[in-house]
Amino acid sequence: MAAATSTFKPMDHVHGDPLEIPELACGAMAGSKPYVAAPGQQEALGFPGELVENWQEKAINRLGELVDNSRALRVFLDSCVKCGACTDKCHYFLGTGDPKNMPVARQDLLRKVYRRYFTWSGKYVPWLVGAQDLTKDVLDDWYSHFHQCSQCRRCSVYCPYGIDTAEISMAARDIMDTVGLGQKYSNEIIGKVFNIGNNLGLPAKALKATLAGLEEDVEEETGVPVRFPLDEKGADILLVTPSADFFASPHMEGLIGYAKVMHEAGVSWTFSSYASEAANFGMFVGSQENMQKVAQRIHKAAEELGVKRLVFGECGHAWRVAYSFLDTLAGPFDFLDQNYPIPQHICEFTNDLIDQGKLRFDKSRNDAIRLTFHDSCNVARASRMGDKPGGQFEIPRAILRATCNHFYDMAADTIHEHTLCCGGGGGLLTDELMDVRLKGAQPRMRALQQVAEDHGVTHMAAICAICKAQFSKVLPQYGFDMESIVSVHQMVSNAIILTGSIQEQDYEAARLSVLQEV
Amino acid sequence: MLTTAFALSFYTAALVLAGGLGYRIWLYASTPAPLKIPTTPAPLTHSGVAARMFREVVFFQSLFNANKWIWLFGWIFHMALALVVLRHLRYFLQPVPEILVLVQPFGELAGFAMVAGLIALWARRLIVPRIRYISGPSDHLMLALLVAIGISGLTMTYVAHTDIVAVKGFFLGLMYFNWQPLPSDPVLLVHLGLVAALMIIFPFSKLLHAPGVFFSPTRNQADDSREHRYVGSARLEAMSRKA
Amino acid sequence: MGAYEVNGTVAEHDEEGYLTDIGVWNTDLADMIAKAENIDMSDAHWEVVNFLREYYEEYQIAPAVRILVKEMTKKFGKEKGDQKALYALFPYGPAKQACKIAGLPKPTGCV
Repeated sequence: MAAATSTFKPMDHVHGDPLEIPELACGAMAGSKPYVAAPGQQEALGFPGELVENWQEKAINRLGELVDNSRALRVFLDSCVKCGACTDKCHYFLGTGDPKNMPVARQDLLRKVYRRYFTWSGKYVPWLVGAQDLTKDVLDDWYSHFHQCSQCRRCSVYCPYGIDTAEISMAARDIMDTVGLGQKYSNEIIGKVFNIGNNLGLPAKALKATLAGLEEDVEEETGVPVRFPLDEKGADILLVTPSADFFASPHMEGLIGYAKVMHEAGVSWTFSSYASEAANFGMFVGSQENMQKVAQRIHKAAEELGVKRLVFGECGHAWRVAYSFLDTLAGPFDFLDQNYPIPQHICEFTNDLIDQGKLRFDKSRNDAIRLTFHDSCNVARASRMGDKPGGQFEIPRAILRATCNHFYDMAADTIHEHTLCCGGGGGLLTDELMDVRLKGAQPRMRALQQVAEDHGVTHMAAICAICKAQFSKVLPQYGFDMESIVSVHQMVSNAIILTGSIQEQDYEAARLSVLQEV
Repeated sequence: MLTTAFALSFYTAALVLAGGLGYRIWLYASTPAPLKIPTTPAPLTHSGVAARMFREVVFFQSLFNANKWIWLFGWIFHMALALVVLRHLRYFLQPVPEILVLVQPFGELAGFAMVAGLIALWARRLIVPRIRYISGPSDHLMLALLVAIGISGLTMTYVAHTDIVAVKGFFLGLMYFNWQPLPSDPVLLVHLGLVAALMIIFPFSKLLHAPGVFFSPTRNQADDSREHRYVGSARLEAMSRKA
Repeated sequence: MGAYEVNGTVAEHDEEGYLTDIGVWNTDLADMIAKAENIDMSDAHWEVVNFLREYYEEYQIAPAVRILVKEMTKKFGKEKGDQKALYALFPYGPAKQACKIAGLPKPTGCV
């Protein structure tokens, strides 16, 4: 009962141009569908439990509401000229060849219905403009292909009008939820955030025990009592991180890195068990109501704990929601210290300390690693770090270069704003979608293969919980080691020299012997 | 009879174009943009956004990064069209401004470039399987319409001249509500008829990309959500205050 | 959905084979779920499954992989107590596959 399998053999596809355009394979991915949310999971989010009887009418009404409330949606549905610029930009198209995974074709699944019911031409000459009734077949097509979009925005970079398929697929998912056809993976998770406080369903007691265990581990490793505080009122900084950081690997190794940096910086900080989740799947399902409710938990936790600063851990879409939406959805955050960015990314936090010379690294501790960096899509194309455009590319790399001697970028057309999604974003990180996840990872895997061959790269760092989990699963299928995906703050954790640590003694001894030789 | 028919068609076409486009622009402007969604890296300031929009609208920057062939043909077509339209202003202005006199020879040549660009785009639509897949009847018809307008225009410039002075008289007459007879030259009538059709189709078709590009939030928003609290929708704001 | 049938009792499971009622779990059922996953239950497998159940009882969630690794290291020594060894036991991931066999709900989120 593992993931649906297909005849796709990743190892046969790992070599080649990452952006090679496949032949069209019509219908190739029509069978790819995530599990449907159970009635209880739907109702917890304010949606009908199952497909309602008058779903067609309700869906059309909802589409009208969404268009009336989103300039982006309205402009995007009207403006496409079918120029074809986006047709080879989606990693799922590159990996599957299914023409419905071309961004414009994916958009057209919704656009044809919009035209049919909301435009003059679609009402009177539907055949001419490709307008179509919303039938059950169309709904099935939506369910399949709007769950083959990771909302990575790569298409929007290249569209001459900036049409962002993410906005379209969010709208389509919102409509489907509204008529009772939700996706189990995302909706179950949002429900857990409301009930328990995080995607994982990690109760406060377990979180506390996990953090206590990490304190033991780090003290054993370094000899320094690095703290992992939870719910400490009056702390200066609230650190909000994806709950995967409390559970999975290499996420947790990154979490250890955050704690070491906080310790070395000498700041007082805390996690919150109420807002023990940075992720916000409300965005994935396109529900602004749910996204807002999840975001408001962070406001509430920050206010109740009385913190002055808000820092976010390594999570791609969480950073988009935090950076771009949080103040709008849950603001204003006027009770926080306005001298710091609100919110701040952990990479910004660490990089500032590096720039001020407040952190010491023994880069040789990462010498077994030849590293590259995977730009996570939501960080790259929907947010920023630092005070200059593109800081989201420079800052994580600056951290990696400060902590590792061997760093090599992948091909220029596969990084920065051109980055390729890991294949598991946007609510697709679920086992039953493994086939499309594997295929969607192909372009990135090829780019990685190239730097492995050209520069002997052994590891790839990322700053997104989804990327990390997805790569842990797909890397072995493409012939890489499962543990070759690392957290950026894992590299920090490996190399950082904590004051008073066992590592500091070695480091000072080594420095001394070098000085004596000179 | 002919003059009356064409005069009424052009009044209708102008009304539909102005009214339709005006309505659409009003809709775009009045629809809320609830969240900040610029495609990053994006400019941090409004002047930066203006520069980004300028590069998009004049040089098709994103398209250039996407696909050099589509960019080349599309850019040639649009720039040539701009020149052609500029050149045609001489039929509506008396006296003809100096600048239009200068534009005239380029405008005439641009007619060829425009048709060539359109045909190249059409060829891609027919030949490249991905683009053929996404093309519908209206996409082909739109190209056919534009090519036909171009060719009929070029025909009058280079093959079968029409009484251009009378044509100008007709349009000036339309503008000042003092109708003058329109020459009954078949090529001219085809050209004008198709232009009127294009004007009517404009607000109901993908030609809405022309106003749309200016309203696209991924391009026209500044990346300043940490610097200034963004409020784009009353509904979200009400929910935010309640919490 | 479907159900497992062991010794005349029926245990319902979800689309992915996780028990819908964790209370109905027993060792025979675990063996049966393991078989469906192509896993032959060895002592090492049982150690993992039993630890998961104990941990779940206490904390209402499966332990983090790192915690599991630490526990296995304690029991079996360093060479058997790393992430790779756990994946050798449960190829589809110690957290998810072992949870299924242990009758626990699947960990959700970005894992």
